[in-house]
Amino acid sequence: MDSEAYSTELSRQHKAFSPSRVWAIAGNTFTQLVRMKVFYFLLIFSALIIGANLLFLSFTFEQELKILKDVSFGAMSLFASIFAIVGTALLIPKDMEDRTLYTILTKPVPRFEYLLGKLMGILLLIGVSILLMSLLFFTVLYIRQHGILAEKIASLPRHASETDIESFRESIFSRGLQPELLLGVIAVFLKAAVAAGVALFVSTFASSTLFTIIVSLVVYFIGHAQSLALDYYFTQGELHSAGQRFLAGLVGVVFPNFQLFNVTDGLTAGEVIPASLMARLVGLTAFYLTIYSLVSWMVFAKKEL
Amino acid sequence: MADSSTPAVQIEGLTKVFRLPLRKEKVVAIDNLSLQVGAGEVYGLIGPNGSGKSTTMKVLLGLISPNAGRASIFGLDSGDTASRGSVGFLPENPYFYKYLTGSETLAFYGKLCGLSRKEIRSRSDELLEMVDLTGARNRRLGGYSKGMLQRIGLAQALVGDPRLVVLDEPTAGVDPSGSRKIRDLVLELKRRGITVILSSHLLEQVQEVCDEVGIIFNGRLVREGKLNDLVAIEDQTEIVLQNATPQLLDGIAGLVEREDCAQLLSCGHPRTTLERLFLQEINEESKTGGQDT
Ligand SMILES: Nc1ncnc2c1ncn2[C@@H]1O[C@H](COP(=O)(O)OP(=O)(O)OP(=O)(O)O)[C@@H](O)[C@H]1O
Ligand SMILES: [Mg+2]
Repeated sequence: MDSEAYSTELSRQHKAFSPSRVWAIAGNTFTQLVRMKVFYFLLIFSALIIGANLLFLSFTFEQELKILKDVSFGAMSLFASIFAIVGTALLIPKDMEDRTLYTILTKPVPRFEYLLGKLMGILLLIGVSILLMSLLFFTVLYIRQHGILAEKIASLPRHASETDIESFRESIFSRGLQPELLLGVIAVFLKAAVAAGVALFVSTFASSTLFTIIVSLVVYFIGHAQSLALDYYFTQGELHSAGQRFLAGLVGVVFPNFQLFNVTDGLTAGEVIPASLMARLVGLTAFYLTIYSLVSWMVFAKKEL
Repeated sequence: MADSSTPAVQIEGLTKVFRLPLRKEKVVAIDNLSLQVGAGEVYGLIGPNGSGKSTTMKVLLGLISPNAGRASIFGLDSGDTASRGSVGFLPENPYFYKYLTGSETLAFYGKLCGLSRKEIRSRSDELLEMVDLTGARNRRLGGYSKGMLQRIGLAQALVGDPRLVVLDEPTAGVDPSGSRKIRDLVLELKRRGITVILSSHLLEQVQEVCDEVGIIFNGRLVREGKLNDLVAIEDQTEIVLQNATPQLLDGIAGLVEREDCAQLLSCGHPRTTLERLFLQEINEESKTGGQDT
């Protein structure tokens, strides 16, 4: 009993920031989403990519593999972004509405840690779901590229040489499971992470799930078109005044350029993604998440609960 | 760490005004309220609905900030997260993550309090036993009844081994035997030297557990003091007799009549309260029948 009293005495030393508290909130968020049975969506995802595959079997193998990759990346990006927005919107406003937040914030938990924990939990969920989706995607791709090769070999005349087969294998596999696809997977994750940041910020002042989802989706869609709008605006007017630049910067911060993250289109078309672009995406994601966390905190720190 | 002379809770000139969005109207929830709770005391905050009890507690716990005045816990300002290091809070109508089981819930809050894995295990075993939820520990909270939620809420408030426990209507929605258990628990906390602030509409219970009460009305503290001083009727004395014959009663009445200054106000069988009767019945039932959960 004495030793226990001593240890709780120790644990009472308040730490201004504690990774274990953030981790407890993140883990709780993740568990909560998993128990809401979100991973059932994997069934839909598999049905989608296998269905798309069956539908386009009669095409040339180049087309078939490209469609498989396009559909898979498209579905991955869609699911990940939906999870990011809906998951955040579902949990934070609900904590406020149900007043579960009272029980958390009356423990020695700074409000910033709560936000950070929620964000980490959502990122964890996005990460795990993208991982599972990529595994499914890569498995189907692997099976198809071997299937196509087998069909080719079967259709070749008997006297076909080893070099012919080898060149077929080369051309099929180069359009199949290649390590570059991982860059696409990373880009999908980064994009969803930024979407989660947007939803986090909106939910701190919205305190309603529906409102958060709608506003975040609007930002998400505008974000896809913002570079077009900015280009148009700035090439029309010649003036590059400080005011204009400030405005452009503001638009850039409020509406992240989501279009920039869509590297998978080029990827499936066989383009090479330069390392510099990936580095830029990582940097942008870190920038947006930092900005959104900070402004979320500024709103949330003063919030009357 | 604050020494024992620092009051557990100090509230000075607290005022909280809610502005209703998009309207000019204002609601003065707390109006220049001051109170102090010494370490180890049990303080009862009573008052009609909407008088500002919950709001006072929320300000004390840093959930909302006051318009004027200040509140502190063991000398630390309520705005400071560190002040929550030694507090346990049970909100009114508590609601928890319904996807978690009873023991997962306690583990979660234990982690937030910075407890180690080992501490969490021993602490939750002890607390689940204390609030009678050992049998339901592996069930999800979505399936808990209102009274069970209230009890897991109580366990959650105690998980960090707090020195101050704030309970907002801890017995709301709990059946009489459960609320009797909560009363015993508060007495047990008091025995261990833990400071308790509670609000309740069950005045009988407040009277049983509290050392000190504050009566709050329209956001103002209208009466405050030691319970014994507040409720004792100094000029009356109660005598309870068993198996008294009518002759004895007549004799006593005669004796009183002969005195000039004293008066016999009432004579008859003391009544048990409905609550006591209910409890007695339930207790007998549970002794003959199975256990209650
Ligand atoms: N967030 C809020 N916005 C506007 N008014 C509020 C808010 N919270 C409380 N009030 C008002 O403040 C007053 C005090 O409310 P409070 O909840 O503290 O009462 P209470 O004493 O706890 O009542 P009860 O016994 O019903 O729980 C009420 O008039 C209430 O309408
Ligand atoms: Mg109340």
